[in-house]
Amino acid sequence: MSAVNIWERMLNIDRRWIFLGIGIVSIVPFFINFGMPVRTTIEVESIYDYVDELGSENAIFISFDFAPGTQAENMPMAVAVMRHAFYNDVPVFMTANWPLHHGMMLAAMEYVFNPTTEGFYQDIDFDDWRELREAGVTAKGDLVDAWESQGNQLPDGAMGWVFEGRDYAALGYAPVFNLVILGMTISIETQYPIDAHENALGEMPMLQEHKSLREVDLTLTCSGSAACEWWITYAREKIGMPVAFGVTAVSATDYFPYLQTGQVIGQMGGLRGAAEYEVLLAENGITSSTDKAFTGMDVQSVAHILIILLIIMGNIAFFAGGFHKKALLKEGR
Amino acid sequence: MYETIGIWVGAIFTLAIYSFLYKENSIYRLAEHLVVGISAGYGMAITYQITIKPRLVDPLLSGDHWILLIPGILGLLYITRFIPRISWMSRYPIGFYMGTAMGVGFPLTMKARVLRQLEGAMVPLYQSGMAWYEVTGNVVMILGTLAALIYFFFSKPHKGLFFGTGSKIGIWVIMVGFGATFGFTVMGRISLLIGRIQYLLGDWLHVIE
Repeated sequence: MSAVNIWERMLNIDRRWIFLGIGIVSIVPFFINFGMPVRTTIEVESIYDYVDELGSENAIFISFDFAPGTQAENMPMAVAVMRHAFYNDVPVFMTANWPLHHGMMLAAMEYVFNPTTEGFYQDIDFDDWRELREAGVTAKGDLVDAWESQGNQLPDGAMGWVFEGRDYAALGYAPVFNLVILGMTISIETQYPIDAHENALGEMPMLQEHKSLREVDLTLTCSGSAACEWWITYAREKIGMPVAFGVTAVSATDYFPYLQTGQVIGQMGGLRGAAEYEVLLAENGITSSTDKAFTGMDVQSVAHILIILLIIMGNIAFFAGGFHKKALLKEGR
Repeated sequence: MYETIGIWVGAIFTLAIYSFLYKENSIYRLAEHLVVGISAGYGMAITYQITIKPRLVDPLLSGDHWILLIPGILGLLYITRFIPRISWMSRYPIGFYMGTAMGVGFPLTMKARVLRQLEGAMVPLYQSGMAWYEVTGNVVMILGTLAALIYFFFSKPHKGLFFGTGSKIGIWVIMVGFGATFGFTVMGRISLLIGRIQYLLGDWLHVIE
């Protein structure tokens, strides 16, 4: 076998071997913890700092603008910011710009409210605290005291109570979402008379305090498409609303210009961005540990090392085999 | 019970899709077609349940909001696409939507995506008090932007110092951009794989937390 053939074989390696290699290096780190550090970047820190400054008198939007195809990247971002907001008693409005994305919003709530999730929040349905609401008890501290005085106990492991209509509103999907954003700059209730659970928004205490986007302090758009630009176009530019991006890694480079112009306050790019936010939450005692995004970073690092090695090997084979001098490789390359 | 069935279905279909990595096969095609069909069905059900029913059907049935008949009928005109003889009627809702979207979106889009970006590119090359890395960053950004624009300027041949060298630098700038995008793309694809492995090993097999 001549030397050229070895290089050529390297360049024409069956791609299934590469898939197998990626598969193996993506599974092994789940069992052998390499403990690679995740350093936080200013783009993510600025979102964290902004949310951390907010309190119960403020409110944020989390827009679920992603489908199941990118939930591995986008879901941890939404979950991390949702937990941060709940920890600080910041009311959260949740929207979705497409029918499939509506399901992602429900899945995120199910995860954060699920008692089997570490550091879950105990959810109280809108109807369950009707009496207290009608008695005018809506301030978070008073509400928790009144709720617990009725004999309700926070379950073990729960981080706190969240009251539907006071701490969150699942608005969900509405069609022609860019115009919905525009409409919400005037009134949220006209765009969403009822939420995803068919509760009347007009009865929600959080809507009484935040009637339009002008009275909301931030939108985090977790996006697997160009939908995040709608929030810039129709909310940021129209009324100056602060916007933060949580975007997939594939589209992260497309949106860095918005950071440079100051149109967004920060950006989480891909799983790495979500892992950084999880690290910030854990370091500051907001969660007891990191979550799925951070767990995936070891895998990410090892898989990247393999891909870098493959790229280097491919280039060595290409140049050492002299293929840069030939118009085409054999076998149709 | 239902959750367990759901996890098993998800796991089996994940493996069915990944079987494509070995070679094209009928199990993969079945899973692919099911994804398309179920997504469309789910979308229709959600749209009816949380949009059409509460925002159109229920208010109309209550008899208080007859004004909703106008957008309702306009929306129904879309369906005339399926009847060739009267399919021209579908142009009205399309025209209405396009006109509205353009009218509302154009000024804001120009501001957000063009004027703001232009403004962002108009930065001082040097000001007293600026750190060296800020100066370098601004110079690289402005020269890079100009070079990339020269590359896409086709009314003059790419020859000479200005157009020739400028377009060559422009190619390098664009290649650096592609490189960064490729790196992020690799990261994104691996992230999606990680998500599926977490599902298979965690939610399904329970061998990881």
